[in-house]
Amino acid sequence: MATAEAQGIGRYIAVYFGLLVITSLQFFIGYQNIEGSHLVVRFLTFAVIEAVLVVLFWMNLGSEKGVFVKFIIVTMLFVLATMNYIWTDSFRVLLFRLTGIGPS
Amino acid sequence: MSEAHLTMGSHTAPPMEARPFAIPTKKLAMWLFIMADVMTFAACVAAYGFLRNSTPDWPRPFHGVTNVAIMTLVMLTSGLTMLIGLRAAKLGDKSGAFRWIMITAAAGVIFTLLHIRDWMGMMNQGVGLFHNPWGPPAFGAGFFVVTGFSLLHISVGTIALIIVNLRYRSGRYNADDIELMNLFWQFVGLVWLFIVPIVYLMNLAPKA
Repeated sequence: MATAEAQGIGRYIAVYFGLLVITSLQFFIGYQNIEGSHLVVRFLTFAVIEAVLVVLFWMNLGSEKGVFVKFIIVTMLFVLATMNYIWTDSFRVLLFRLTGIGPS
Repeated sequence: MSEAHLTMGSHTAPPMEARPFAIPTKKLAMWLFIMADVMTFAACVAAYGFLRNSTPDWPRPFHGVTNVAIMTLVMLTSGLTMLIGLRAAKLGDKSGAFRWIMITAAAGVIFTLLHIRDWMGMMNQGVGLFHNPWGPPAFGAGFFVVTGFSLLHISVGTIALIIVNLRYRSGRYNADDIELMNLFWQFVGLVWLFIVPIVYLMNLAPKA
């Protein structure tokens, strides 16, 4: 298995403090009066950065074979991207509810 | 049949099929499990997002998220202690690994208790799976399903950590098994880092 664990904990601690800083920024942004899509984009951007740090360094995916890394990334991105088809329908339902026309 | 048996049987026997992606089978299985779990969590969060986006009067009831901040700190710190335990296991320091992984499990227990406290606070305000005092009942359903799924993973993961750690100390499991637990534990911590902004921070009450 990977030997990255034996290389010292300095990298782990650096990632830990990085995650603390990013999470603190998320809480700070949460308390600002930011509305709508801007807030979602900022939160998800920070969350994705955190995910990359955790997966690469704490789950040691970065030290695995390139073909395995590609397999994980391509599969996950495909699934997560296809799930975004729901948003158009959610806006349709929202429009119906706001205008009172169509299904509730 | 092991590779050794194959080679002992005959010099002309074909070699065992190469491991997929050149990683141990148990580790591949854990990664596949995590990938399946990512899809389940993503479906839950997407359903929550659908409900939130399509409901005009979605409530924003949270006035403070101190409890959630403490939970997040505990979860992040447990990720680090898990890695220190894994490193000790890889270096052959059995007692050190056992100690750090037990600290991780203790953090899991603290997180679970704080999570239940958070739920009790919500329920005391009248929020339930099918009831929400601030408007659409879908809020309660979405909140409890998404956070409950995470809580289920963390509480089960804590129990698994303790069991694997005890078996590691007794010699039935080795450092590779600790590595598998590390993968799962980091994953549940990662999911929490998505739940906090989506479920809690986006529902903070706007300032007057």
